[in-house]
Amino acid sequence: MQPTTTGRNRTGAATAEDGVRAMLEANERWAPAEPIDTTLAEADRGIYVIEADAIGSIPQPVTIQGMLKTGFDKLIGERPEMLMDKIGERIAFERGGTRLYDALIVKYHTLVEGGEMPDLPVPLEADGADVPATLGRIRAQEHEHFLMLSEVMTSLGGDPTAQTPCADVTGVASMGLMQVVADPRTTFAQSLNAMLMAELADNAGWELLISLAEQAGETDIAQKFQRAMAEEEEHLATVKSWLTALVSAPTATVAA
Amino acid sequence: MTINLLQDKGMPLERQGMSWKDMVGKPISKLDDDAFTRVRAILMNGLELDSLRTKQVALRCSADARVQLAQLMRVEQHQATTINWLIGGDHSPLETTIGYEQTAIEVTAAVAQLEPDPYLAQGYRYALLEDFDHLYRYSALLDRLEGKDANNITQGYTDIVPARPTWEHHRAPEHDLLEPYGPDAALATKLHALTLTGGEYQTHDYYMNIGPLFADPVARQLYAEIASVESQHITHYGSMLNPRETPLEKLLVSEACEVWNYAGCVAQETNPRIRAVWERFLDYELGHLQVALQLFKDVERRDPAEVLGDGLLPRFIEFQSQRGFVRHVVENETQLRKAGTQFVDTPDEGESSLAYRGVVNAAGSPSRNVSATWSWTPGTELTRGAQAVKRAA
Repeated sequence: MQPTTTGRNRTGAATAEDGVRAMLEANERWAPAEPIDTTLAEADRGIYVIEADAIGSIPQPVTIQGMLKTGFDKLIGERPEMLMDKIGERIAFERGGTRLYDALIVKYHTLVEGGEMPDLPVPLEADGADVPATLGRIRAQEHEHFLMLSEVMTSLGGDPTAQTPCADVTGVASMGLMQVVADPRTTFAQSLNAMLMAELADNAGWELLISLAEQAGETDIAQKFQRAMAEEEEHLATVKSWLTALVSAPTATVAA
Repeated sequence: MTINLLQDKGMPLERQGMSWKDMVGKPISKLDDDAFTRVRAILMNGLELDSLRTKQVALRCSADARVQLAQLMRVEQHQATTINWLIGGDHSPLETTIGYEQTAIEVTAAVAQLEPDPYLAQGYRYALLEDFDHLYRYSALLDRLEGKDANNITQGYTDIVPARPTWEHHRAPEHDLLEPYGPDAALATKLHALTLTGGEYQTHDYYMNIGPLFADPVARQLYAEIASVESQHITHYGSMLNPRETPLEKLLVSEACEVWNYAGCVAQETNPRIRAVWERFLDYELGHLQVALQLFKDVERRDPAEVLGDGLLPRFIEFQSQRGFVRHVVENETQLRKAGTQFVDTPDEGESSLAYRGVVNAAGSPSRNVSATWSWTPGTELTRGAQAVKRAA
């Protein structure tokens, strides 16, 4: 791994002044600037939006108990299928989050072994645990959240192994996160930036899920979710503090 | 070093081998490497894949060469992997697409100037104008869909403006064909046609694979449309190849083509790490050529000099901006169309192409719609400020 330094980045217009000048001359001849009009492509997209099928369906409850429960909740005007879909989303996200931390931990230990990892602040709530222990704890908590959510899904009559529509969509939205963390060229700080995106989305996701559980009258479940969210808030604060420490350091390091 | 195809032996096939770690090395830097390093990687991946294709076809037709072909293909497969894996994971599929079109433009323009047969040179210039237009359409998509500047990839080497519009590339199949070169064609002519055929195959196959990865329907349409044109280009260039060459003759030309292209890459590569890859594979290909020469002599009972002449390599493709030549072609030949195997002015275009075009463009043109009013601007169209944008209601 190499430190990120200034160098021969060739992407900008300023690094190819003659070429860019020539490109602008070509524009004048073959593609002169005119008022921007995106009507045609947007109209096409609109037609596809109207004609589109759903991305998929929410699985039917798999147990009698779940069906009864779903029916009961429907009678009181809630949308239990939405709760199931969003639980499916968090199952997918926590499972993926566990794997993101797996990848981050590999990068961390490699840098430590190479003597390339500067000291990072230890979070107050870590009770003196060092950075590797904190990383391990966060990873374990993501895993626990996944297991807890799977139990909740089962208790509601759902199938925790099914991929719900929101689970699928959150998987699409998260595809770039693992691309960043798993890339051996990215620094620890760049990887933490991807983790920050994950933790911010995760925190907002838990907030929404708690609210849906409360609306559905699932107070026990809502309490479990609140405990998970408290842990996720710690994860977010820790990732932010590590990222800030690395990018604010006075000297460049391989880690940043 | 001057290479002679009939004399230089290279590394014997039995000594060639790579580990998975060798194949999956460090990728090029999208940000720091010269755009022509990526151009060479894309070109050589296309060549390797086409050499595999040639051998697979030969395998089906050549009872006496099965073992040798299988052995050659194993190494070619791993060479293709090594080269294709040079493209880093930070390239989005659309950014890689920009690299593919830049490769098509710069390589085709260079080949068009090297080609000694005026009719085939016309053929290169003809399709050049179409790939040139594809770069403009994809650049518009990159800007308007991903908010990225295509020149981050092309680095000022290649103009990004329209030429023959993509919606007019759609021809009836009978008008995609060209007259093939004959048995006495210069070696350069054979190598040029095979290089471009391999390149177009690769581009077509890439678009067919990544087109469905896009969620945006306009992107899906644009890839569908341009993949279809690339399929036409495979026919366009593939029909230049002499159909009377035997499978083992084609194998010989294919191996010579790889030697010629690797040697050109070695001579011009600016990244020392990548140059070492080209040097290693040049040595491999000379070894492969030995196998092909022996098969040609043993099975066909023919003298390889019939195909390879004196064995000297023709002039290399020049990996540098061909801006001046391309502009000249855009200015003078955009209006050309096809009628059968001939190049004609627009009014004389083959009528069945007009009917075909009416069918495929019946519900509108993706290439037109995605790029309407777009012109390349450093840093994307959005740098033009908060001007009013006319949108769908």
